[in-house]
Amino acid sequence: MAARGAVTSELKPGSQRAAPTGIDALLTRVAAGDRDAFAELYDAVAPRVYGLVRRVLRDPALAEEVAQEAMVEAWRTAARFDPSRGSAAGWIFTIAHRRAVDRVRAEQAAADRERRAATSSVPFDDVVEEVTARLEQQAVRRCLRTLTQLQREAILLAYYGGLTYREVADQLGTALPTVKTRMRDGLIRLRDCLGVSWG
Amino acid sequence: MSDIHTLSGAYVLDAIDDLERARFDQHLAECPVCSAEVAELTETVAALTEATAETPPIGLRSAVLSQVESTPQLRPEPSGASSSRQLLHWRRWLTAAAAVVALGGAGAVGYVIADHSGGGAGTRADAEAARIAAVFMAPDARTQTMATGAGRVTVVTAESLDEAVATLTDLPSPGANQAYQLWLIRDRTPRSVAILAAGRTDATKLIGGVRGAQALGVSREPAGGSAAPSLPLVAQLALG
Repeated sequence: MAARGAVTSELKPGSQRAAPTGIDALLTRVAAGDRDAFAELYDAVAPRVYGLVRRVLRDPALAEEVAQEAMVEAWRTAARFDPSRGSAAGWIFTIAHRRAVDRVRAEQAAADRERRAATSSVPFDDVVEEVTARLEQQAVRRCLRTLTQLQREAILLAYYGGLTYREVADQLGTALPTVKTRMRDGLIRLRDCLGVSWG
Repeated sequence: MSDIHTLSGAYVLDAIDDLERARFDQHLAECPVCSAEVAELTETVAALTEATAETPPIGLRSAVLSQVESTPQLRPEPSGASSSRQLLHWRRWLTAAAAVVALGGAGAVGYVIADHSGGGAGTRADAEAARIAAVFMAPDARTQTMATGAGRVTVVTAESLDEAVATLTDLPSPGANQAYQLWLIRDRTPRSVAILAAGRTDATKLIGGVRGAQALGVSREPAGGSAAPSLPLVAQLALG
């Protein structure tokens, strides 16, 4: 199967950020119960974990709470990390994103009971615009521009808005299979542009 | 490649519901090409996080490190516990399904089967695992989830099978000599369907006779359970 590939931070050509190398190695030590390694791991990934979670949840206090949950979850389940399925950093961001999305959906479910009929209060266009503007990383930004508008919107609405592909289809007024396909081919194009390889 | 394969994009974006995720996880276990694609797309999505990185609040680091001080770690997945290929297959995909449905509850369903590794195929736990899998895969399966503190209660109901699977994950400690108890509520009448061991905060339970039930309730009771649920309920999920 796939061998270990590039660490996330090494994926992009032209990245200026100091690479938090060794995240995989740190996680291996964390899995063995090494708390010092965990502190190092925290320092390496926390800005990206917190930034991601805050982007999805918007509320800083809630984001802090969920970021904490995600980091503790990484500690708790470190021994279950499976390197054949991706990098340690990718695994941690997946935990964080899923927790944030779960929280968004739980709150939506509660809110929907009261105002199901009301049109969405979330300014979806703003989500896409804000995130695109925030993407200062040259490579990511440049690569996002190579996507079609539909690909880009579908990906960003799902990832940062916490929407399911059904909800994205509703928001964009696009057929369900189309949205599903655009998410996949958009990410594939992004992958190729960023030079992500795995295996 | 099957049609489900096109879900890989939505999958790595978490843009699918729990049930679709469980099915896709099962598909991944059988499709190395898909696993490789998902690994690459996960890395691709991870690259986006660098662009939104932001300095966390000052208190977060100490809060995390202090919580970690008192948080035990899970052991690695038990492997090779059984020579039964079928059993291994169920365990692998149920574990994946539970991890998704219960987020972090990967152990729960796994243990249903791992506990039982000595017995070989055809035993009771085996049959139960197969029934749990059948509920997850039923065409009419419906998922309800409710957050409870940092944990959650999830119930997957398959009306056609008259069965449901309830998963409790990371619930708050019920307290000394207290236990969680599960109830099916029909016509406002609760029926006890499971009592967890005292102090237990994670569980996966197969529940029969769910047809016509309106809700699943979780209550906190003295160890050993009660004849009627103590109110207020810790969680209540509509099944209808």
